[in-house]
Amino acid sequence: MADNFEPVIIGFLCNWCAYAGGDLAGVSRLQYPPNMRAIRVMCSGMVHPHLVVEALQKGADGVLVMG
Amino acid sequence: MTLSEVVKVDGAMGNFTVTVQQNPRYIDMEKCIACGLCAEKCPKKVPSEFDYGMGNRKAAYILYGQAVPLKYAIDADTCIYFKNGKCKACEKFCPTGAVNFADTAKTVEVNVGAVVLTPGFKPFDPSIFDYYNYQQLPDVVTSLEYERLLSASGPCMGHLVRPSDQTEPKKIAWLQCVGSRGINKCDNGFCSSVCCMYAIKQAIVTKEHTTGDVSQTIFYMDIRSHGKEFEKYYVDAEKKGIRFLRSRPHTFIPGKEGKGVKLEYVDETGNLFTEEFDMMVMSIGLEAPASAKDLAAKLGIELDKYNFAKCSSFDPVQASKDGIYVAGCFQAPKDIPQSVVEASSAAAKASIALAEAKGSLAKTKTYPAEQDVAGQEPKVGVFVCSCGINIAGVVDVKDVAEYAKGLPNVVYVENNMFTCSADTQVLIAEKIKEHGLNRVVIAACTPRTHEPLFKDTLREAGLNEYLVEMANIRNQNSWVHANDPVKATAKAKDQVRMAVAKVSLLTPLEYLSLDVVQQALVIGGGLSGMTAALGLADQGFETVLLEKTERLGGNAWNLNSTWKGEEVVPQVEKMVQKVESHPKITVYKKAELKTCVGSVGNFVSDVSVNGETKVVKYGAAVVCTGGKEYKPTEYLHGQDQRVYTHSEFDALMRKDSAELAKSESVVFIQCVGSREPERPYCSRVCCTHSVESALKLKKLNPNMNIYVLNRDIRTYGVREDLYTEARKQGVIFVRYELEKKPQVSKQGDDLIVEIEDHILHRPLKIKADRLVLASAIIANESKNLVELYKCATNSEGFLTEAHPKLRPVDMSVDGLFLAGLCHYPKPIDEAIAQAQAAVSRAGVILAKSVMPLDSIKSVVTDKCDGCALCVDTCPYFAIKLVSYADEDGREHKRIETDKALCKGCGICMATCPKGGVNVMGFTYNQIKAQIYSALQSA
Amino acid sequence: MVVGGGIAGMQTALDLAESGFYVYLVEKQAGIGGVMAQLDKTFPTNDCAM
Repeated sequence: MADNFEPVIIGFLCNWCAYAGGDLAGVSRLQYPPNMRAIRVMCSGMVHPHLVVEALQKGADGVLVMG
Repeated sequence: MTLSEVVKVDGAMGNFTVTVQQNPRYIDMEKCIACGLCAEKCPKKVPSEFDYGMGNRKAAYILYGQAVPLKYAIDADTCIYFKNGKCKACEKFCPTGAVNFADTAKTVEVNVGAVVLTPGFKPFDPSIFDYYNYQQLPDVVTSLEYERLLSASGPCMGHLVRPSDQTEPKKIAWLQCVGSRGINKCDNGFCSSVCCMYAIKQAIVTKEHTTGDVSQTIFYMDIRSHGKEFEKYYVDAEKKGIRFLRSRPHTFIPGKEGKGVKLEYVDETGNLFTEEFDMMVMSIGLEAPASAKDLAAKLGIELDKYNFAKCSSFDPVQASKDGIYVAGCFQAPKDIPQSVVEASSAAAKASIALAEAKGSLAKTKTYPAEQDVAGQEPKVGVFVCSCGINIAGVVDVKDVAEYAKGLPNVVYVENNMFTCSADTQVLIAEKIKEHGLNRVVIAACTPRTHEPLFKDTLREAGLNEYLVEMANIRNQNSWVHANDPVKATAKAKDQVRMAVAKVSLLTPLEYLSLDVVQQALVIGGGLSGMTAALGLADQGFETVLLEKTERLGGNAWNLNSTWKGEEVVPQVEKMVQKVESHPKITVYKKAELKTCVGSVGNFVSDVSVNGETKVVKYGAAVVCTGGKEYKPTEYLHGQDQRVYTHSEFDALMRKDSAELAKSESVVFIQCVGSREPERPYCSRVCCTHSVESALKLKKLNPNMNIYVLNRDIRTYGVREDLYTEARKQGVIFVRYELEKKPQVSKQGDDLIVEIEDHILHRPLKIKADRLVLASAIIANESKNLVELYKCATNSEGFLTEAHPKLRPVDMSVDGLFLAGLCHYPKPIDEAIAQAQAAVSRAGVILAKSVMPLDSIKSVVTDKCDGCALCVDTCPYFAIKLVSYADEDGREHKRIETDKALCKGCGICMATCPKGGVNVMGFTYNQIKAQIYSALQSA
Repeated sequence: MVVGGGIAGMQTALDLAESGFYVYLVEKQAGIGGVMAQLDKTFPTNDCAM
């Protein structure tokens, strides 16, 4: 794999925990790589398996479901 | 009523006539559009009081960027026209003719039922200490000035520089207790309670506002991190390399060329050091407000010797006159959460006093009629926020805005300094009308805090509030990718594109509401629980109080007196009697909560009362499950009769003070079970309790030798007076470190305590007649409750509040509130204030018979075939199967959602194999659009 | 009537208004917010004070 490989990751973030955690990471100024594109959901349980498959089919290098 | 002061108060509770003087603003609030031209054209620069004179404002000004109300004012004291009779530049340039130099002070009389005083505090002025050279040394600043230097909206835009030469300081020191805990020159014997924590915060935050290495030193006497999660913050700061030095430098000597500061200090080993710092921050104390005496005289209320309002521990926000309440630092110096607690507490008191008049004058907010956007092509407006430098400092917002213009459906784009400011809301509404926008994207901070604001803006502009989507380019972008502006900007563009893709598919949602059961449940019958029940019942709500034991009162029965010296037991007796005879309170003893269904406004629980099950319906609940004293296993407790915990020692004092008086020496050991790896929090009350007990012992026998072995003495607020008094009376305070705990042993018949003295650096051996362990306060078991209500505790088992600063009595579950020891260790006055605050917060829900609901709910689609897979997966039991007839009269089954129970979690949506159910605002297609849009660039 | 428009005054006024009372909030400065508005961050979460 090339050294300059920049993965694109789709992140499904639960509004009440992971998304709040993402906000807190900001407030705490924790630094992390900017490769994830977050989609806020009302619960990680809302993420339909088909959506994960669609993301991968459309070219996502990874999918994170956090809740 | 801004620029206003109370002139006179007449009357009594229920009918006060307050005379208020409204000073002239010289700008008509109705006409002012806050365009800022007056300030731009005003030729007169004056030091900004908001920035403590370190920045400038004009004579025509607003207090700060996000000011409410966002209306300019003219400062007559500095305005050139008022001095020389010439200028009027502002009047000339004001586009709306709002400037009115003929404006005069108006006096208005207002009739009110209750008055709440929250005048705040006066920051201590350190100029009176000549040896700190505050006036002479530019790099010596107060903590509040430093706060402005750090602030992104401050005089140096958040990039810290020192005042003398505008360079970045590399070595900064804080001096604690400036204007607190000292009776030498300033007569402020009290501890200001907040300075230790704010100094640590400033030291930590400094790293974010500087480049490269910076060293921070805090010179202190005792670190007082006695609040919830504070101790961990302090320990963490030490780990981050912030240097804590227990020492008190005397004189601030100018550094080289008058820049920086040179200090001489003696550390704990007794050695003298000389050290230079680039900057020195004085952690100034919180004094009673300048207006305290004047206000007290006008209202006829009493003050204490420090000019704080006099209050009893059992009624902590009640001023010495009926109908007048106090909250915040006017009551005593305190932090934000405690101020907010007291504020709600005062609201509860006023609400009870005026229960009859409730609702008679309130007006409801009305919104313009909503435009029907169904069938319209999406026309999206994008507003990109700079958030001062918070976003714009990393993300190229201009580039993002430019990019947004090319996105599908976008018809208008703008970049704002602060998209959340009041003037921008007006602007957004204008742009919606001007460009016929029917969808809005806000690229700014997090929807978790700011979405409600923008929803309201849309509604004001005649759009359904669910037609807005936020792109979080601050918390989840500029703040976390500070070192990579290029990629951060690219990510921001993706985020905006995703938001535009989603917003284009959003549809207006129906506003829902819920009928509220106007009754309350209080869990736990200690002081907090009883206070909450009485408050709710006095507001007129039927209240059920559950107590797990046979007796109301809880821990309070074991306490002798409050720190102010008020006896506890008679008060508890009085309160128990009041609760048990209150017509609106039902007390269930030996009771336990068994089940809970429903949600805010409509809870139903089974309660087991002495083995019998009863059903309770309530709209809101206050949880006061309390805490208990940790039973130590260390220091020979339980093995030697002479070793007590505080509550055991209090009992002995009640029972046999004559015998106790014969003791020759009594030793207290602090932090037993607190501030240790196992329980990394401070139990808040034990220092005061020990000092208080020591003073009582000295009263019994002035010759008694009393030792208090401690790690820091944390007698915060006016409690500091007790500590001062104890030292005056000869109580000996010896400090120990966590690594070198005192050793307790039995040598022959003698109980021996050994410790290394922190001043003499020699081992000290004390023969103790009694040993009192200031043991920790731990939370009562709440696992059952946590499971039933799906609420949370922190790692030490204390229930979690919704926000540590701003919502200190709300729980994370709507409709639940908390008070007392189940939240964190606290003394009686604070527990009562918190319980009263819970009354106010619960009262907000119970006051209305109808409550609006969020519209994010699951809704059946025409693809549902009634397979009922989702019915079982719904964790809230919100879905049921119903029958319906189609056009031909044939019977079918499909699901239906109970809107009150549904939380919009969408587990049903993920379960359904055929798209038969969707969550409004988060539909399958809307999420899919975000995915596709996110991957467009890939 | 609430005298003082800082964090405590604002919270009292909000609670009372939401409980169905008409509230006068008196502030001597040109805008409300008090000292908290001047703070950069708050402990222990380092949240923005604004």
